[in-house]
Amino acid sequence: MNSGNSKKRSAAATPSPQQQQKHHAAMEEEDLDEDVFLEETLLQYEEDSQVLRELEESNSIKERLQKWKRPSLSQAYIAQTQSISFQQLEIDYIIAESHKELLPNSSGQAAILRIFGVTKEGNSVCCHVHGFEPYFYISCPPGMGPDDISRFHQILEGRMREANRNSNAPKFVRRIEVVQKRSIMYYQQQASQPFLKIVVALPTMVTSCRGILDRGIQIDGLGMKSFLTYESNVLFALRFMIDCNIVGGNWIEVPVGKYKKAARNLSYCQLEFDCLYSDLISHSPEGEFSKMAPFRILSFDIECAGRKGHFPEPTQDPVIQVANLVTLQGQDQPLIRNVMTLKSCSPIVGVDIMSFDTEKEVLRAWRDLIREVDPDIIIGYNICNFDLPYLIRRAEVLGMAEFPVLGRIRNSRVRVKDATFSSRQHGTRESKEITIEGRVQFDLFQAVQRDYKLSSYSLNSVSAHFLNEQKEDVHHSIISDLQNGNAETRRRLAVYCLKSHLARKLSALVPLQDAYLPQRLLDKLMFIYNYVEMARVTGVPISFLLSRGQSIKVLSQLLRKAKQKDLVIPNAKQVGSEQGTFEGATVLEAQAGFYEKPIATLDFASLYPSIMMAYNLCYCTLVTPEEVRKLNLPPECVNKTPSGETFVKSTLQKGILPEILEELLTARKRAKADLKEATDPRVKAVLDGRQLALKISANSVYGFTGATVGQLPCLEISSSVTSYGRQMIEHTKKLVEDKFTVLGGYEHNAEVIYGDTDSVMVQFGVPTVEEAMKLGREAADYISGTFIKPIKLEFEKIYYPYLLISKKRYAGLLWTNPDKHDKMDAKGIETVRRDNCLLVKNLVTECLYKILVDRDVPGAVQYVKNTISDLLLNRMDLSLLVITKGLTKTGDDYEVKAAHVELAERMRKRDAATAPSIGDRVPYVIIKAAKGAKAYEKSEDPIYVLENNIPIDPQYYLENQISKPLLRIFEPILKNASKELLHGDHTRSISVPTPSNSGIMRFAKKQLTCIGCKTPLSGSDRTICKHCKGREAELYCRSVANVAELENLFGKLWTQCQECQGSLHQDVLCTSRDCPIFYRRKKAQKDMAEAKTQLDRWNF
Amino acid sequence: MVSTEVDSEKNLLHRKQSVYQSLDESFGIQKEVYRGQQYSQIYFARLHLMRTLLYSIIPNWKPHLPVCTVLGLEEGKECIIVGTLYKHMKLKPSILDEYSKERSASPLVQRHNFMHLDDNLVLEDESGRVKLSGCLLPSTYVTGNIIALHGKETSAGEFFVEDALEAGLPQQIEQPIQLGEDKYVVFISGLSVGRSSSNPLQFQLLVDHITGHLGDEKEQNIAAQIVQVVIAGNSVEVPHGLLNGQNLGSKDQSRLFEPIKELDILLTQIAASIPLDIMPGSSDPANFSLPQQPLHRCLFPGSSAYNTFRSCTNPHCFELDNIRFLGTSGQNIDDLGKYSEANNNIDFMERTLRWRHLAPTAPNTLGCYPFTDRDPFYIETCPHVYFVGNRDKYESRLIKGSEGQMVMLICIPRFAETGVAVVVIEYQKP
Repeated sequence: MNSGNSKKRSAAATPSPQQQQKHHAAMEEEDLDEDVFLEETLLQYEEDSQVLRELEESNSIKERLQKWKRPSLSQAYIAQTQSISFQQLEIDYIIAESHKELLPNSSGQAAILRIFGVTKEGNSVCCHVHGFEPYFYISCPPGMGPDDISRFHQILEGRMREANRNSNAPKFVRRIEVVQKRSIMYYQQQASQPFLKIVVALPTMVTSCRGILDRGIQIDGLGMKSFLTYESNVLFALRFMIDCNIVGGNWIEVPVGKYKKAARNLSYCQLEFDCLYSDLISHSPEGEFSKMAPFRILSFDIECAGRKGHFPEPTQDPVIQVANLVTLQGQDQPLIRNVMTLKSCSPIVGVDIMSFDTEKEVLRAWRDLIREVDPDIIIGYNICNFDLPYLIRRAEVLGMAEFPVLGRIRNSRVRVKDATFSSRQHGTRESKEITIEGRVQFDLFQAVQRDYKLSSYSLNSVSAHFLNEQKEDVHHSIISDLQNGNAETRRRLAVYCLKSHLARKLSALVPLQDAYLPQRLLDKLMFIYNYVEMARVTGVPISFLLSRGQSIKVLSQLLRKAKQKDLVIPNAKQVGSEQGTFEGATVLEAQAGFYEKPIATLDFASLYPSIMMAYNLCYCTLVTPEEVRKLNLPPECVNKTPSGETFVKSTLQKGILPEILEELLTARKRAKADLKEATDPRVKAVLDGRQLALKISANSVYGFTGATVGQLPCLEISSSVTSYGRQMIEHTKKLVEDKFTVLGGYEHNAEVIYGDTDSVMVQFGVPTVEEAMKLGREAADYISGTFIKPIKLEFEKIYYPYLLISKKRYAGLLWTNPDKHDKMDAKGIETVRRDNCLLVKNLVTECLYKILVDRDVPGAVQYVKNTISDLLLNRMDLSLLVITKGLTKTGDDYEVKAAHVELAERMRKRDAATAPSIGDRVPYVIIKAAKGAKAYEKSEDPIYVLENNIPIDPQYYLENQISKPLLRIFEPILKNASKELLHGDHTRSISVPTPSNSGIMRFAKKQLTCIGCKTPLSGSDRTICKHCKGREAELYCRSVANVAELENLFGKLWTQCQECQGSLHQDVLCTSRDCPIFYRRKKAQKDMAEAKTQLDRWNF
Repeated sequence: MVSTEVDSEKNLLHRKQSVYQSLDESFGIQKEVYRGQQYSQIYFARLHLMRTLLYSIIPNWKPHLPVCTVLGLEEGKECIIVGTLYKHMKLKPSILDEYSKERSASPLVQRHNFMHLDDNLVLEDESGRVKLSGCLLPSTYVTGNIIALHGKETSAGEFFVEDALEAGLPQQIEQPIQLGEDKYVVFISGLSVGRSSSNPLQFQLLVDHITGHLGDEKEQNIAAQIVQVVIAGNSVEVPHGLLNGQNLGSKDQSRLFEPIKELDILLTQIAASIPLDIMPGSSDPANFSLPQQPLHRCLFPGSSAYNTFRSCTNPHCFELDNIRFLGTSGQNIDDLGKYSEANNNIDFMERTLRWRHLAPTAPNTLGCYPFTDRDPFYIETCPHVYFVGNRDKYESRLIKGSEGQMVMLICIPRFAETGVAVVVIEYQKP
């Protein structure tokens, strides 16, 4: 139960730095609290008893699960003589009767917060927190006395009752207090003014009460009046965290005597107790409390038996295997490796196998495993949208009401909701939101998709990208065959099932060394550390990080800071002036070309945060134009921004945003310094995660103010920031070009060739990297001196050589020390677009490498020519030509005919069993077709192409795929790039294979032709014609060389596949089309057979 | 044209004769077809063959221990398991490296050895895999070895090895007792005709020497006792990059063909006087994967006219007067050198004999035809002479087996670099 389940979720409102100039925010709808009534969620008594009965039945399994239980409680805990200190992972709330002992004065239903966590001994904790009440503020109308307030209270109570007729709550508005606060908006001279704090009974009442006040309320003496509410959009759990100074994933301590052991255990947690919110001690994540508790992380994956030609559907297709791997946070080796299978399965070394006769038993065993192992975090790949909903739906189909009790609350079922995730990057996606009480779900698929830009997010390509390993992939139609075979084939399946998530390398069968792929991704990408640190820095619960946008993080920090300063944040969708968009960052005109002298790059370090700090830009320092006139502030106390806004200087009022930023950046500096000194790899991981989180957070503050539909947009701030940014870039350019001149005593005139949002590229004209570095540093220091602190221009790197194509598109060799270059850096060139084939990427990368690193332009040209020649001569590795697109709907639903949809349709007609179904990715190549054929008719299945020798359409690849990116690179370098590269001699010779499936070929008579000159052979000649007799040796050498090359390739390819599948004695059955060698392997097999037949003709 | 009857005035020297029998049949793949078979079958065939063998000797080794499959392992129970070794190697090159995202900044140095301290062994049979720990040295073994291990499964699921058993030398055919006359067999390898650095005179000198055109009577006497010449691979060096699909111009054709022609002329001189076996090697115009098929006769229009000229497979096995010779052109030992460690080439050779397998790394790292029902590299009968071509230097060792087998191991150096050919005496048992 997350406190507040948003109906709609939205993606990052804060764009990454590159996108900041767009100033479009994704639709961010408000997060709403949702009251969950304890009594309603629990299974009824009858069902409960059924659960118990079934538990008894599966006693034998229980025994096996027993050994994986958490460590038992120490005596001190049992005797309640010890404070309970735990790291919390999840906070939610529930509505139940208020606690009579702890709160003797209140009665009725109240919101009870539940904190789930783990002690450092590894014991699970469920802490019920009582006494915290939902509230919000409105500004107090002037002249309101205590009597007026109590009257207002009555009226409000009455209106609330009207609006919530169905509710049987005895009281809605608990009380109204007068507090001294100040709105965060605009610079105000008076210190504070009275506000009304309205405390309501239940969290949802905040929203409903806000609605009433927004619309207006009739008050005696004042008439109809509507109120602007403050902080009425804060989720209850977050409110609680803010008020108690709890940040996501920190340690909480409840002192001895302050907690009461729960009378009735509602949860499966080992320590369950009640306490008052005021008794909680929240430790800030420093020192001992920056460590991580030993959470239990469960990584799981299911396999379903699909029907031929269909994607598995929970209504029909059974779950046949579930693989589970449990790891303790911070340990390399998994604690549990387990596979549950339907039907018997031969054992696998090092793996615990549980076999069952019925699917119900499998599911039940899995639920029991969850209960006994009690994972804190559940991870997997696409579990949120596939595995979990599938299991739950499947259990429903099987009529297992007791299955979805997966959370930590006894007899409470998980709740599944449809959610829509819409974002500009990914479009709108339907997804499922599953609430498993007390356990954090962490879907690696979502996390990777969110944090990394990749061309494909299949587990295979993700693991290939990060772990540098290929994943064995078995098509679901094969899976059914294996399942329906014998114990041995099921074992083969189990090996696959385990491995695809657990072991890659060695150990299909010995998954001891390697962890599951998601687990390994988790470790490799340091997700746990990074996300926990992000939660700690921004103060939101961990579960928010994946499911919610960026703005909640900034809002959380803002609220915390505001609370310290007695400021309140208005709940206005649009504050400040109405303003559509504003001018973005500046990009200096790029002077395209190939620069063979070192180019120094001057970067502004955290430009936008520093601008906000330097000029004290904040909500509370903004002065509206009317106020400017009214207040008549002295000019030395205000900054007028280039965009025309006025902000007071910090001497009058220090801004909150600058303060937050300052803290973030200082904290980052400290984290980085600590990181340098740290030796323990775990501490290092924490610190690194922290500095990263701090950096991201600092950068997202600017985005928060610019998100027009965000929580608290203020375009005056964001447009001021960008206008300062523009000014600085221009200023830098001017200074550099004025100072570094021959007249100024330097050897050359410096020239700014390009400038981006926060960096300027300067050609100082000096020939060596070392000199350029010296001048770069000099320039950075000189120019930094002209800026207000903390704005700082830094010299970071040299590009040498540097290929500038156009704005945002460049490549160069990066140097940070004069001796050796660091790497090749390319921006906007390497087309990671999915609808490009691999050939483009390889070609572009190789060319850049040759041009920049080898400094070999002719070599690059030759390479392009060779590649084009290979393409035309049909010698290209087919996998390089494959284009892949996801099939999301059936053909009829697409408005325009798309190549991959048409192909899927055609494949279905050929063989429904192996045709791609919805949700699959369809790989295709473009083949030669009749003249005038539409592009979508020219798509074909790569395997079909290989098997039938169908000619591909090299012209398509030449013109539609490789020409543009190539010309982009070569145009600054070569004069007649297009002519030279795309129309030279090398394009003359072409080779087209004869398709074996076309109609006309059936009538053709096969006749041997001379190996040398392709003349049809007659008479007794079997190998070569009489004209070629003298060339026997040459021709033979060529045949045999071809065979030798293919043999070499064949061996390498097929042994690699054996390596991937982790077995020498079993045939390779991987059908992973994402694997780069999949088609090559197939082609090698086919070419090999042909070449061998050809060679055998010599044995006359 | 050329014969041993050089000094016809003096007493005529007659070249000695011996009975030659080719045993290359199992290395032929003429009848084999690529029909989509994979490499699992050759491993399976190997495992089956070797396991039967090992099972038969285990009772003599450790009779008290039960024999298990990998699946049947129980934690803590001492037993013997037999299976194929798989060596995990961090540095092992992979074809997937071609696809790695970034070209590394520093040019890849061609390593001559891919060993790493983290390498570890796994034992596999049809039923599963188990990671090995204990006394088995990963640096000695390679993927594809079949071995019996004594040990027990640890709680971590590893198999702790206490002792290991290799197949040992195979049985040897009885060496015949013959009337005492010495006969010689000459081994050459790495002629590298066509290499820019090779000296054609050196080879001519050798040819003249063994055909009896040089030296005094004593030397000619010796020459006359040569009954067989074996060329163990890498006879020519074809200029690289000529054969990539495009039709060759006449100039390139001759560049390609010149070395082969030159070789043919010299071979003709030998074949005219002595029986000659030529084996293909890695640089010869032959197929790549083992077993390499005989060099085509059309390459040797001159020498192939003689019935003394035999183009053989690599590996090559033959009997001369009932003395068995077995050898390769060196690829198997080169590959062991990349993936395991030994003091010298002879050690590698001895290992392959004791493993009873010529090329355990095939097909894993050594190219190999995907046989379906057999493993031609299994050494069924122990040779008397085991030779490997294309070594850096000449080495030899006489090893003795437990059942009285005696094997002469010979490293044949590259002739083009060392100018050394090896002469083996068919010596007589005392």
